[in-house]
Amino acid sequence: MGISWSNTNSNSNRRRRNNYPPPFPPPYYYSSDAHPPQLPPPPPPSQPPPPQGYYFPPTNPSTTPYVGTHPLPPAPPPQTHSFYYSNGYATPTAAAATTNAPNYANRLHYHPYYANQGAPAWAPVRPPVAAAAAAAPPPYVDHQTTKKIRNDVNLHKDTLRLEIDELNPDHHLVSFVFDALFDGRFTIYYLAKEEEKCRFIPLYPDAFAPISFPFQKGVGQKFCQPPGTGIDLGFFELEDLAKPSPEEDLFPLVICAETSMRTSEDETSDGSTIDASPHMQITQAVLVKSNGIGPFEVKVIRQILWIDGVRYELRELYGIGSGSTAADFDDNDPGKECVICMTEPKDTAVLPCRHMCMCSECAKALRLQSNKCPICRQPIEELMEIKINNDDK
Amino acid sequence: MANSNLPRRIIKETQRLLSEPAPGISASPSEDNMRYFNVMILGPTQSPYEGGVFKLELFLPEEYPMAAPKVRFLTKIYHPNIDKLGRICLDILKDKWSPALQIRTVLLSIQALLSAPNPDDPLSENIAKHWKSNEAEAVETAKEWTRLYASGA
Repeated sequence: MGISWSNTNSNSNRRRRNNYPPPFPPPYYYSSDAHPPQLPPPPPPSQPPPPQGYYFPPTNPSTTPYVGTHPLPPAPPPQTHSFYYSNGYATPTAAAATTNAPNYANRLHYHPYYANQGAPAWAPVRPPVAAAAAAAPPPYVDHQTTKKIRNDVNLHKDTLRLEIDELNPDHHLVSFVFDALFDGRFTIYYLAKEEEKCRFIPLYPDAFAPISFPFQKGVGQKFCQPPGTGIDLGFFELEDLAKPSPEEDLFPLVICAETSMRTSEDETSDGSTIDASPHMQITQAVLVKSNGIGPFEVKVIRQILWIDGVRYELRELYGIGSGSTAADFDDNDPGKECVICMTEPKDTAVLPCRHMCMCSECAKALRLQSNKCPICRQPIEELMEIKINNDDK
Repeated sequence: MANSNLPRRIIKETQRLLSEPAPGISASPSEDNMRYFNVMILGPTQSPYEGGVFKLELFLPEEYPMAAPKVRFLTKIYHPNIDKLGRICLDILKDKWSPALQIRTVLLSIQALLSAPNPDDPLSENIAKHWKSNEAEAVETAKEWTRLYASGA
């Protein structure tokens, strides 16, 4: 199982920089090697933004992909596959998630945190897009296909909670639901900064040492931090706990889920094993107390995958039902068909708004006539074709 | 022949319109031109058009769905965004068209326009002026026109 997209256009980002009208909204980015402090913070998007930050490839931009999880639909069996995308990028806009054609009088606007129910996700990275000449000719739109990577462990970000340890009322314990294909361990950090190669360094290692817990493989498991191992958050300013600093890669709560040594099936095609780099999923969150009182509420800001030395950021795609593949395409299900031809299954997402709404043929036809997303009318910067392979389940 | 090479989308939309009609809306294609639809919209409740049956024509141009359908009221209607020729001032039929919209969503939007006249963006200057200067009286006129022209008789 899994979804993948491959980079067919490795030089496109350079071309793109010069061909686009000013991106909407202007992106910002950061890198784990070099933080560009001169970049302004992102402007407030006109639609509810996804909670995640942005990612600039730390290594070779032409090979660094992005990724999306496939968050679990409420009912169907859990899955842990991911979207992977080379050479892509994202902006903070996300809007109406829909599998149906919008009624103008009643358009849907999804809050990003809820939009993933039943919808898989993706996580883009993008190179910086320079503000380009305004009067661009018909915009060049990347049309890329996807390739797959697998996510071995997935923390369900909407289940992450911080609860008071009843035995130690000052202390807080972490809980969440997760799926794992292999055994592994969680490590919980507070106020931890991301360093190169997805290592995490706590700001106050003496006061709040990272703490690890093993887990076993299985889907839909609930993790509850054992009583007595919690943390007294009184040391921190509430303000510091509530504030993400994606530009500094610093987050109040970081949970790193790593699976242990991988199996032989993960060997590379030429037979050489990948060196022992762990496979991790990292969840970065802030802790908010409404009005400074009451229990802490956990808000996940970003999820990252670190697989074989490549860092991916997880993002959601809107309108990709769990069954929207060619294999189980139902000709009479309006949620799975291309909104334009209403015939082919949809397999192409619009970036940056992330509306998965068209088949690739219609996407190609559309981009000759319009640069607006059919769902939300935001400018199209890129089209991403998602090929879902079912032959490797 | 207009019906040859009818895109599958149009066939599908037509089938769905006939099998699951939207409440208060009916649309059926003409026998000799499957791109031409005879439409009826019931006046929304709690609007001046309540009780009326409004006939419209809808035509899907060659470029559809990349271009909007052409829609026009055939029944006379007193509405600030509809002129005496039945032309409709509605953004989704113009610059806000999206190929994700459909016949059904267009007709639902027109039905919604009947519930929410917008005299600030008029197509019919006189009616809009009337609406803004004396809404109660304009609404009465709209009701009267509904009785006179849209009674379904």
